[in-house]
Amino acid sequence: MSDAVGRVVAHRHSTTQEFRVVIDDDQYLQLDDLVVVRTLVPKAGEVQTYGIVTEVEATYEGATFESDTRLIAEKGILPAAKVRSAEVAVTRVDPELWVAPDPGGVVERATGTERLRALYADTMGRALPVGIARDGEPVYVDLDFFDGRTGGHMSISGISGVATKTSFALFFLRMLTGRPDIVQEAANNLRVLVFNVKGEDLLYLDQPNKFFTPEAEQAWRSLGVAPGPFPSVSLWAPPRANSGDAVVPDTGGRSEGVDAFRWTPREFIDEGLLQFLFTDATDNRNQIPFVEERVRSQLQRFAVDVAGEPGAVVLRDPAEGHRRGDSVTPGKGERVIRDLGSLAEAVAEFIDPDEGEPDQRWSGRVQPGTVSAFTRRLYAAESRLGRLVAAGESRRIDRSVAQVTVVAIQSLPDLGQRFVVGALLAETFGEKERSGQRLPLSVIVLDELNKYAPREGQSPIKDMLIDIAQRGRSLGVLLVGAQQTASRVAQEVLENAALRVSGRLDAAEAERAEYGWMLPSTRARARLLKPGTMVLSQPSIPVPLVLEFPFPPWATRKEEVATEGDPFEGL
Amino acid sequence: MPRLVVEPWSAEYGGPLDFETDPDEAPAVVPGSEGPWEPMASEASLPSVIAFVDGVRRPDARLTVDEGGSALPIPGVAGSYAVGAVRWYPEECRSEFDEIRIERVVVCGEGAKVELPPVGPGLVYTSMSSPERSVQSLVQTFHGAMRVAEDDLAEDLARAGYLVFADGPINTLSALRKVGYIKTHRVSYLPPELIGIIPELGGGQRTPFFRIPDYKRNSWYLRLGDFADGHSWSGVVRCEVAHAVGDEMTIELANISTTVLPMLGSEPFRDPRAPQNLVPIAGLERELRRRLGAAPLIHRFVTEAVQQVAV
Repeated sequence: MSDAVGRVVAHRHSTTQEFRVVIDDDQYLQLDDLVVVRTLVPKAGEVQTYGIVTEVEATYEGATFESDTRLIAEKGILPAAKVRSAEVAVTRVDPELWVAPDPGGVVERATGTERLRALYADTMGRALPVGIARDGEPVYVDLDFFDGRTGGHMSISGISGVATKTSFALFFLRMLTGRPDIVQEAANNLRVLVFNVKGEDLLYLDQPNKFFTPEAEQAWRSLGVAPGPFPSVSLWAPPRANSGDAVVPDTGGRSEGVDAFRWTPREFIDEGLLQFLFTDATDNRNQIPFVEERVRSQLQRFAVDVAGEPGAVVLRDPAEGHRRGDSVTPGKGERVIRDLGSLAEAVAEFIDPDEGEPDQRWSGRVQPGTVSAFTRRLYAAESRLGRLVAAGESRRIDRSVAQVTVVAIQSLPDLGQRFVVGALLAETFGEKERSGQRLPLSVIVLDELNKYAPREGQSPIKDMLIDIAQRGRSLGVLLVGAQQTASRVAQEVLENAALRVSGRLDAAEAERAEYGWMLPSTRARARLLKPGTMVLSQPSIPVPLVLEFPFPPWATRKEEVATEGDPFEGL
Repeated sequence: MPRLVVEPWSAEYGGPLDFETDPDEAPAVVPGSEGPWEPMASEASLPSVIAFVDGVRRPDARLTVDEGGSALPIPGVAGSYAVGAVRWYPEECRSEFDEIRIERVVVCGEGAKVELPPVGPGLVYTSMSSPERSVQSLVQTFHGAMRVAEDDLAEDLARAGYLVFADGPINTLSALRKVGYIKTHRVSYLPPELIGIIPELGGGQRTPFFRIPDYKRNSWYLRLGDFADGHSWSGVVRCEVAHAVGDEMTIELANISTTVLPMLGSEPFRDPRAPQNLVPIAGLERELRRRLGAAPLIHRFVTEAVQQVAV
């Protein structure tokens, strides 16, 4: 059902791209409202032009000077016509006959099925609601453009401090995991990996929020998801440093339900995690990556398990004939690698011995300075993230125990954060590469993408993110990347994101080419968007849509956690 | 010592003062019944609504009727005029356009009549003629038609109960509340013994009313405001009502006009005929001109219609 709100303005040309509407006296149009005009085209029949309001204006016609306003409005002695009009960007022409709407044509508000048609929801195979438009109705994305069928990945931009990027990413995930009826087979065994890089916002995803309001509940229900915390979450944090033999997760506000993770030296070597210790952009300028690559492969050849010490290894020359899976008892004085420190020392014995020549099988023919630089960095890494590698039972992150895996790396220094992110990206991508299957989907949420895939410089993580961006969609590895400024993120990563989302932007940032997908009017508004309001662009709709997403039913801070009953009751 | 003053009106509109050279043409004038002959202020309470009536006209095309042979071609003109009103509600601080009437006429000289078929969407020309053949007389006929339409509208509104200010003199001398507002002075109605009051008028003051028996009208002068660098007639306008309204209503209307009109004077940057061209009337004229339609388009329609007549 539709209702007339005005007519196509006649004194200016309407085009296939945009037209103006003069609004009826008893109606209104606001930004983002959807409208439809029916035009009778000779020889073709009726054509429906759908559009979205991008600007609304009002003026007194008959006023020649600004001061005429007083004569009209204050004294009332100058007659004038108040005119309210709206600028409309065309979203769709149906049937696809690209003609301009007739001047004077009746413009109707698109509601119900007309509204869905304006948003192409009728052409979307799987239309997932991802927010609420200003008219209170859902906004949809075509899932085919996220889950890899025809496109993949999502890029979220916005200034920090309004907690919008992560909140939207989580809201999107909740929609993705909460609507299996729409997501269909892609919902089966869907796994999500989320990195908590700041604060502890994401450590309460499984806890109800006590500030959740009935209005927000209504909004969630209108999107088809029963509001509640994420039902299936596992939380992981690095072990606290200097906690002796006890392995305690390094988190502040929450420790119960959080597992500590780390890698054994065996896992570290097998998965080639050494490369993620050299992720600083400056590492790539010298020959350190060359040495690292060599050392990494030699470690894999030399490492032999130690009997009775799970995860620990010794380095023995493969010429001695040991095979994979063998375990040996270390000889007297033989160095057992139980952590990063002993690994560094063991490697140093080959490439930078105190006495004698370095073993060129390990170091290659590089300058002694390069080797020293490599060793120095290796020792430095030990002090900064040594707690992430230790022998003993395996404590690696198990992404299969819950649908959403939250990895809390906020307590780690930069180097450590990059190490964990690199290791987990490699693990996730490696698994999918081996299976070669798109399903089940693996979604990775990573904030501060500019840190991991910066526009300038090289690093193994950047290479991997570009790889994921380019090949991930066919392998079902989907990146939900967030950044303050898209202009500082590698082009390849941005370009491959089919869904682009933006919250409030810095004024200068909004003018950059990275936001060319926005309309000029949307760009201007992007400086003013309030928390909870986003602009969304998707390939199936030629204009960006502004949407709001509801307050989360899960807690985002310890103070928000709703406890069962009042613990102080009766005191 | 004579003063030299620049009139604020744009030169193309002429000036507010255009006195005839021969003062004998002025009709006899008798002061009314308002006491001593000196400037008067007034603080009449405003009526709830006042209507302002005006009209605009525009020639759309020049025509020529050529009968061939020895007869000289006859000139004609196709033109459009619009008359309308603004209703001003002083208490509500609001004004709006009232009924706007648009007419299109073809006037030919020497009594010739030309019928044009409907020339375009909603464009119907009615036929008129002038007995003379000068273009000036055609324009007079055209102008006269507009004046009649203005007068009819003013009369209709007055009959409907509005207090009406009509731009220009009034023609239908009914006993209704209808004031003619004259901003250009061609005749000085006041004889020498009375005219000395004009320089003495302050802003917002008027003369007592005077009768013009020959024209069956009562009239008064008023000054719209104080104007720096003005002359003795700066901002002076004349109003007139029909005798038929009687002295009492004349005084009431004179008082209302003295209160109302100074509030409505325009400023030079806003209007080329400031201050005499009142703000509501300027707004009305703008709207009326707009409603006449796009001149080049109408010219084309008329041309097409004339071709149909020839066929």
